[in-house]
Amino acid sequence: MNDQPQQSNAVFADFVDGEHAAVQRVQVSLVYQNGEMLRIQRADNKPAIDWNLADIRSIPDQAGQTAVVLGLDGDFPARVIVTDAVLARQLDLACPDLRRRHKAPDVMRRLAILTAAAIASVAVIIFVLIPIMANQLATLLPVNGERALGDSTFEQIKAALGENEQFGLQSCERADGLASLDKMMARLSPGADIPYDIRMHVLNHDMVNAFALPGGHIVLFKGLLTDVRSAEELAGILAHEMAHVENRDPTRLALRSAGSVGVLGLLLGDFAGGAAVLYLTESLIQAQYSRGAEAAADVYAHALLGEAGVPSTPMADFFLRILEEQGDAEGLVSHLSSHPEARARADAAIAADRVGRQYDPVLSQREWQDLRYICG
Amino acid sequence: MEIQVLTTEYVGKRGQLFWLALKTSFLTVLTLGFYRFWMKTRLRRFYWSAIRPGGIPLEYAGTGVEKLMGFLVAVVVMAFYIGVFNLILMFLSYSLLNNNFAAYAMSFVGVIPIYFYAQYRARRYVLARTRWRGVRFGIDAAAWPYAWRAMLHWLATILTLGILLPRQIFWLEKFRVDRTWFGRARFHQGGRWVLLLRSAVHLYIGIALTLLAVGIGWFDEAGFALLTLGLPWLVIGFVHFRVKSFRILAEHKTLAEHVKFRAKPRTGRVLRIYVFGNFLAYLILIAGLIVLMFSVLSLVLAIAPDGLSGDQFENLFTASEGVSRFGAFFAAGLAYFSFFIFWGVLTQVFVTVPMMHHYAETLSILNSHHLNAISQRPRDEFGEAEGFAEALDIGAAI
Repeated sequence: MNDQPQQSNAVFADFVDGEHAAVQRVQVSLVYQNGEMLRIQRADNKPAIDWNLADIRSIPDQAGQTAVVLGLDGDFPARVIVTDAVLARQLDLACPDLRRRHKAPDVMRRLAILTAAAIASVAVIIFVLIPIMANQLATLLPVNGERALGDSTFEQIKAALGENEQFGLQSCERADGLASLDKMMARLSPGADIPYDIRMHVLNHDMVNAFALPGGHIVLFKGLLTDVRSAEELAGILAHEMAHVENRDPTRLALRSAGSVGVLGLLLGDFAGGAAVLYLTESLIQAQYSRGAEAAADVYAHALLGEAGVPSTPMADFFLRILEEQGDAEGLVSHLSSHPEARARADAAIAADRVGRQYDPVLSQREWQDLRYICG
Repeated sequence: MEIQVLTTEYVGKRGQLFWLALKTSFLTVLTLGFYRFWMKTRLRRFYWSAIRPGGIPLEYAGTGVEKLMGFLVAVVVMAFYIGVFNLILMFLSYSLLNNNFAAYAMSFVGVIPIYFYAQYRARRYVLARTRWRGVRFGIDAAAWPYAWRAMLHWLATILTLGILLPRQIFWLEKFRVDRTWFGRARFHQGGRWVLLLRSAVHLYIGIALTLLAVGIGWFDEAGFALLTLGLPWLVIGFVHFRVKSFRILAEHKTLAEHVKFRAKPRTGRVLRIYVFGNFLAYLILIAGLIVLMFSVLSLVLAIAPDGLSGDQFENLFTASEGVSRFGAFFAAGLAYFSFFIFWGVLTQVFVTVPMMHHYAETLSILNSHHLNAISQRPRDEFGEAEGFAEALDIGAAI
């Protein structure tokens, strides 16, 4: 071992010690004494500082090629600024980890935990917190407010479904058809205890679907009218939707969607944009209520039909036919058909039928045809 | 006594930045946006290191990981705020007013304080990660006090049709500067807001002409012709005000009581950089598009020298639809993002770099020997980085 240090030619450089903002003009050289070092020789007889070559890092992405900025591995603010090209090249060869990036010890683990926590939190907000709040607020919303909420969502849905048409999707309003609809509603209504007027709409669209909106709107699509076989089937569906209205299910859904839309907008970067509105519309049309809400609506509907002297077996026929036509294809257009337990619902409707085969028809044959072709 | 002056060098080269910006933007697209935290870090390292007061480069010591973590935290907080807040607003709006306009208006207003809050927090993060001569900068935690002051000043400026803009600029700058530190030394913004009035004269003329034009145009359409004079005056007046007020504010700043600053940016130069820089970027982008179109066209001609028959032409489309709709969608998305990437890269090259060059070159530090005694400040961990600013950004997460 040679105790005498071997030293390369010293060159001038700028040094900052990371403690004070003074720039010190220093002489730096590579020395070999118990290992390889960068020796920083300071003025005024201050002690020299040795940096272990293995610990030296160059600061990346520096502008210009005139200076190399050196520091130590870890978060140490001391820097040596080397402008001498020869020394810079020597350091490049001598420092083994000059370009290695500093990694905090458990950064990947912390990042993974944080990512999981963030995803979980957003999921809790969307799937737990917002639904709970929406359920509470829906029961507190005054009738007028609920009606206004329904009006604006109805307009949005018409606009979204009829995007190719100038004024949105048209409501079908042939007078004799409307008269039939009124007659059907009048038959069902006495049993219903609903704080607002039910407003029926038939939209000129081929989807086999019906849904309720906040504030007493019930929307039927033309596709449904041509698909059902009898006025009694349709009456069953209407009674079911009236139950949703009575239970304020659409209001809950609308409030929940409004909350989720904001969050989705934040995540997708579409703050107040079209995608959010589309999502809102879609979720109202799909009307994916909870299993409990659907069962409750069915029970209510059976009772309503019973009081009106309308059998609920035709409602079961509708479910079974849809099941047969569409099989187990879930998520197809409507919340009437996409329910996985359609057979169970049909059985319940048959079991609840208090009227049987002898009943006063809801509509005459002629009135029924008027209603089916309300859109012309 | 002799005044020691440090002038500022600027060493950023456009070519170097171009490749750095292009490479990092490309990686950002490939990673569905997640690399952008590292892109920002690397670009800042470049920009900071290009500015060298007294020959010593600034250093940016932020990391991509801490930005990503900060963003995750901010997304959760914002999701809570926006989800719950929107829901309650919608409920109140419908139950009290029977419509949702109030809710929309309120949810917009509700984001404004967060915007200023985020702005201040981002500044705090950036300053905490900026070093010069090995010493850290910093700013006191005061994001909410800043946010409500900023809102009141903005309100006053809007209500006075811009007349109080100098007052707003001065007081918000003073709020920030008086809380800013270099090591353990404090900055101070001196002067009074009326000092900025002189630089706002052309801004005021621009505002008056524009308002006059709109006022006359209300009754007689010919009045709108005055806009051709009013609007440019307004724009140039605004730039002039910002440049001049920057100079005045700089001259009244001190650090550690004795260190002073001189900034001499020029309105003409700043305007030229904006106009020519953007124009040049635009020209190059268009030229690139034309070259791209011709290469696609020549590729098609190489495959079918006699041109495509109607059938072949149709096949081209049906094939693309049938075989790979996803592919076409992907290509369209890629083209869309490439366009914005190139635009971003080119404006950095032709606007940001020359602008920083101009501002850096015209900045000098007086009485710089007082800097030597300034000691280090402890590290500001600041876990959330600039997450809120990121989360409010358009197209934030994906």
